[in-house]
Amino acid sequence: MAEKRKYKKRYCKYCEAKVDFMDYKDAGALRFSLSERYKIMPRRLTGNCKRHQDMISIVIKRARAAALVPYTVTRKQVVVAPFENLK
Amino acid sequence: MRNYENLVIVKPTLTAEEIQASVKAIEEVITSNGGEIIATSPMGMRKLAYPIEKNERGFYHVIYSSIAPSAITEIERRFRINEELLRFVTIKYDTNREIAAFNGMVEKAKKAAEAPAKVETPAVEEAPTEVQTEAPAVETAAPAATEAAAE
Repeated sequence: MAEKRKYKKRYCKYCEAKVDFMDYKDAGALRFSLSERYKIMPRRLTGNCKRHQDMISIVIKRARAAALVPYTVTRKQVVVAPFENLK
Repeated sequence: MRNYENLVIVKPTLTAEEIQASVKAIEEVITSNGGEIIATSPMGMRKLAYPIEKNERGFYHVIYSSIAPSAITEIERRFRINEELLRFVTIKYDTNREIAAFNGMVEKAKKAAEAPAKVETPAVEEAPTEVQTEAPAVETAAPAATEAAAE
């Protein structure tokens, strides 16, 4: 009856690392909670806890306003390696 | 007075000198409105995640400062008028946790600002060893801007 989970339910990575504050300027660190089309990944897939999901969603939205992370990605751009402008 | 961080993206079409001049003008806007600049960190020219006003690149500059909350609206109004700015982001650091993070970032920015200065001032013999060990990623971006300004 119950459908098998596609993704394993995981612990919160940020709790593990004891993250208290996230910096929106560090775009590489936000990659974990973004899909390949730069959508914010839902909590059920990443395993983030509520507190850290709230933090990351705010930080990602700030980074989008600062043009560090794209809002949307078209089909063509998906092929290009993400964050190629970062070293 | 409250701690704020202003991220500013300057137009890439300007020359290096003009960029430095406009950055200075931006800092002056903050100081003239009663703000106190604690630290600055130029992130340098980098590719934008999406084009803004048909520009693919932009010069990022971050200013950490303590400003009276009432002055923010005026500062943002002045930023909006400035045509050399592509984008600005103002962020408030209010809670204890945020302030701790803010102080950490300020120290990092100050260290990054000092590192290239160290290389320039003392004898050339000391420079190579220090650069390799102490200053990793920020080194590449910061001197490029300062050298360009010097030229």
